Amino acid sequence: MAFTQLTSKMVRADVAPGRPLFSQRGAMLAYTGQVTFTPSITGGQGGIGSMIGRRVANEATPLMTVEGSGSVMFGHGGHHAHVIELTGETLHVESDRLLAFEGGLRQGTMFMGSQGGVMGVIRGQVTGQGLFTTTLSGSGAVAVLAHGGVFELPIRPGAAVHVDPQAYVAHRGEVRNRLSAAVGWRELVGRGSGETFQLELTGEGAVYVQASEEKL
Amino acid sequence: MALFRLQGSRVLAVDLSGDAVKAKNGAMVAYDGKMTFKRLTGGGDGLRGIVTRRITGESMTVMEVRGHGVCWFADRASEVNLVRLTGEKLYVEASNLLCTEATLRTGTTFTGLRGASEGHGLFTTTVEGTGQAALVSDGPAVVLRVSPQFPLQVDPGAYVAHTGNLRQHFQSGVNWRTFAGEASGEAFQIRFEGDGLVYVQPSERTTVGGQV
Repeated sequence: MAFTQLTSKMVRADVAPGRPLFSQRGAMLAYTGQVTFTPSITGGQGGIGSMIGRRVANEATPLMTVEGSGSVMFGHGGHHAHVIELTGETLHVESDRLLAFEGGLRQGTMFMGSQGGVMGVIRGQVTGQGLFTTTLSGSGAVAVLAHGGVFELPIRPGAAVHVDPQAYVAHRGEVRNRLSAAVGWRELVGRGSGETFQLELTGEGAVYVQASEEKL
Repeated sequence: MALFRLQGSRVLAVDLSGDAVKAKNGAMVAYDGKMTFKRLTGGGDGLRGIVTRRITGESMTVMEVRGHGVCWFADRASEVNLVRLTGEKLYVEASNLLCTEATLRTGTTFTGLRGASEGHGLFTTTVEGTGQAALVSDGPAVVLRVSPQFPLQVDPGAYVAHTGNLRQHFQSGVNWRTFAGEASGEAFQIRFEGDGLVYVQPSERTTVGGQV
């Protein structure tokens, strides 16, 4: 495992030759050994084509490539960091929540509309995530940022889990999500419970929820 | 019976089996199972509650959560403290109250000058009955015991809640230095006397008293 949780807000990553990392630009706190940090102009993997894709999708968080041998400490903005281990499944996460991830993971961009059509697009708008989200797939570790720490909720087939869109951090596995709106007469007269929109997640996998309703 | 559990220090998990809890509006972060959310007009407690709340400005937007399953609550990454009440009365600021069991009654009381100095207005919320309540505080709260021999002084900005048979006065250390601009920043305190518990958070809200 390349990532070790040092404190609730700091993650240590081991870099070895041939095993580079990607991290949010400027998130390095300290390092030991021979490590170089190169701004990744293409914003991650996949060359120019993917770069244009990310630029268009507005999922182009400045990333840097971390190479060499040694260990690097990462943290950002006093936010809580959480390490997620992927073993073959796909993680969906907002690019600005990505702190660092192993170079062995495939990075991609997903159009919200491809899950749930129009409702997916609305969902992106409501949650402030925009129309696109970043996907990471393969085997390796990812460190994500969250306000106030995260907890993991398993999603089992046949039972939907509902999450407040503002508290949603990421999800992994074969999970479909759609925005469910519980708009009743109370919402229309301005006496809503504040829980009008919820993300309904079904399938098999897990969702990561933060202890706060604030975006990063 | 609703069962309150802590999921980490900042998230409250409540197991519901057909019963209801009252929670701060919008504090749900996730749920598993079937839940309905209904805003309680005027914060519950019927017409009298509405009128009192309107007049006192101790407006608490509360929702009723009912269903089967687990519901998770959190509020801006603040720490959650569980309090079990067995008939006594808990005094708490409305903004610090996250969730209460349906068996608990909530009301409003006059606090006098203390409330004004905390920047919360002249009234505070009371929770009464038997059951569990969850408070939120900025940083983990400490519970300080007050006994007749040992009264306690608390910074109004760090006060979260109290229970028990306590009298409170508002005391000020204002002297000529305060007006000469040499203030220590601790010009006002709340003094608790009697027998009970006071919850204090390791952080100070911006208060009128905190400036002098």
